[in-house]
Amino acid sequence: MSDVALTQNRSRAKFWSFARPILLRLLYGLVSLLFISLITFVADEIAPGDAATARAGEKASLAQVEKLREEMGLNRPWPIRYVEFLGNASRLEFGETTVGVPTPINKLLAESLPISMKIAVMAICLAAFFGILFGTIAAIRENKLADRGILSFSTLGVTIPNYVLLPILVYVFALQLDVLPTSYELPNRQVAPEIFYLIIPVVVLALRPMATLTRLMRASMVDTLKQEFVRLSVAKGTPPFRLYAVHCFRNALIPVLTAIGTSFGYLLTGSFVVETAYLVKGIGFLAIDAITKKDTPLILATTLVTGFLFIVVNLLVDLVLPMVDPRIRESQV
Amino acid sequence: MKRKSGLSPLFWFGVGYLVLLVIFAIVGPNMRHPFDVKVGGPFLYPSDQFWFGTDEQGRDIFARLAYGARTSLVIGLVVQSIAVTVGLIVGVASVYAPKWISIPIQRFTDGMFAFPDLLLAIMIVGVFQMGVGPVIIGLSFTAWPAMARLVKNQIATLKDREFVVAAQAMGAKTPYLVIKHILPHLWGVILAVMMVDVAATILAESTLSFLGIGVQPPEPSWGQMIAVGNLNKNSYPLMLLWPCLILSLTIFALNFVGDGLRALVDPKKNQAI
Repeated sequence: MSDVALTQNRSRAKFWSFARPILLRLLYGLVSLLFISLITFVADEIAPGDAATARAGEKASLAQVEKLREEMGLNRPWPIRYVEFLGNASRLEFGETTVGVPTPINKLLAESLPISMKIAVMAICLAAFFGILFGTIAAIRENKLADRGILSFSTLGVTIPNYVLLPILVYVFALQLDVLPTSYELPNRQVAPEIFYLIIPVVVLALRPMATLTRLMRASMVDTLKQEFVRLSVAKGTPPFRLYAVHCFRNALIPVLTAIGTSFGYLLTGSFVVETAYLVKGIGFLAIDAITKKDTPLILATTLVTGFLFIVVNLLVDLVLPMVDPRIRESQV
Repeated sequence: MKRKSGLSPLFWFGVGYLVLLVIFAIVGPNMRHPFDVKVGGPFLYPSDQFWFGTDEQGRDIFARLAYGARTSLVIGLVVQSIAVTVGLIVGVASVYAPKWISIPIQRFTDGMFAFPDLLLAIMIVGVFQMGVGPVIIGLSFTAWPAMARLVKNQIATLKDREFVVAAQAMGAKTPYLVIKHILPHLWGVILAVMMVDVAATILAESTLSFLGIGVQPPEPSWGQMIAVGNLNKNSYPLMLLWPCLILSLTIFALNFVGDGLRALVDPKKNQAI
């Protein structure tokens, strides 16, 4: 075999060993999306009442419902309708809502996704910044007062559920101190910068990932500080700030980056609670609203969209990690 | 960071609190008022007649908390028992079953991790009718994979230990091996993890009830009481305070007990995370 062919072969092998875990992950994600949409679909079949009865209203006669069912194509067997639904969903066509005035679901999604994404991105930035900062401080001051304080604070952050924290924050800051609004959608909303309305939901959503990231960063930094190269650079007289900021920080950051990706899943479910409780009309609010109204097409659409977002974000983390850490890049070759 | 050996005061605080909570859940509902009957005016402050006050419909908050405790504990324990049973079967099968069973099982378990738990539970509960039954089904469905992974990892470390290999060499069949030699080593870890997972289940149940898709009124649950308290927090903050307090304390206590047990069973893994 010639040299060129050998290099080509090797680079192909390199590409596959790099791409394989990511492709597998994508495959798992897609299969689980299929699985979840199937469960939702079948469960809806089992549950009494369908889109036609919901659309027809309570006073409709059986014949009217039957006619509507035929019009909406609901009298065909469910596997056919499921396949049809998948086909439409892959073209991002989710149809219309079946409860109340028929509204195109795409329009609802387009209205609700931006605000949810805004809150999620702000929350993850806040969580990452303070999590990494507090974690680093705690690790440097291991077992001292600052460390103890940060650790107990993060324990609180992990255990207190967001639906307990949010009402308490609203009670203190909106009702007692009157410095923040009581909810995002106010009937007589004054002209104030939007950030003002986002503070409480973002802080509540950020607290838990912040706590987990703090703990992770602390543990990771403590491990790094115990390694040989740190002792060497101390012996060589590296000033403390340079030691922490340049030598240790990047090494300690890697597990934390992975965790930022996984905490996005928490942000998704957290946003269901926060958006419902603070009346933010985002995708979480939309999903819960759809469930309480039994609006099946909307339930399916919100499930698929949130699930898809989760999978994409985790995929992005998988792609970014090797760029940050040469060791991962090497180990994948 | 290594903790001192022996059980911390926090562990004993947790045990004490949980014992009180169980007594509260068993005795409480019968000693005061029925949970769904108007017994006084709305928004009454605590008195010797209504120990924790009354809610927006004049129902006794103490009685409702006690019923809520019963609901939460029952759901937590039932869900985790199902999760442990399924997790044990799946975990053992994914190590000892023939390949054509174990590989699909492993893939399926891995696949379950590809999606956020609570989101899945919300969807399952959402499309069935809401209530205690669907909540148990939905949460069990999302709780077993973690247990299966734990069992599988534990067995993987036990599998090559001398006493297991010796038993195998003496001709022990797989079922005998698993029941007599493997399982006795797992109970401690499972119990410790189960404590923490019961806390997670109770949290998930309250989340669903808070969102209005879990336990349905008039049957009381903590999550739903927090949701109603949230609406009335301006006029009557006490109604928000009680369920928040009891829920947070329960979660703390279960975590302390779980951590303590874990430290007892598995001293090496006793780290800050």
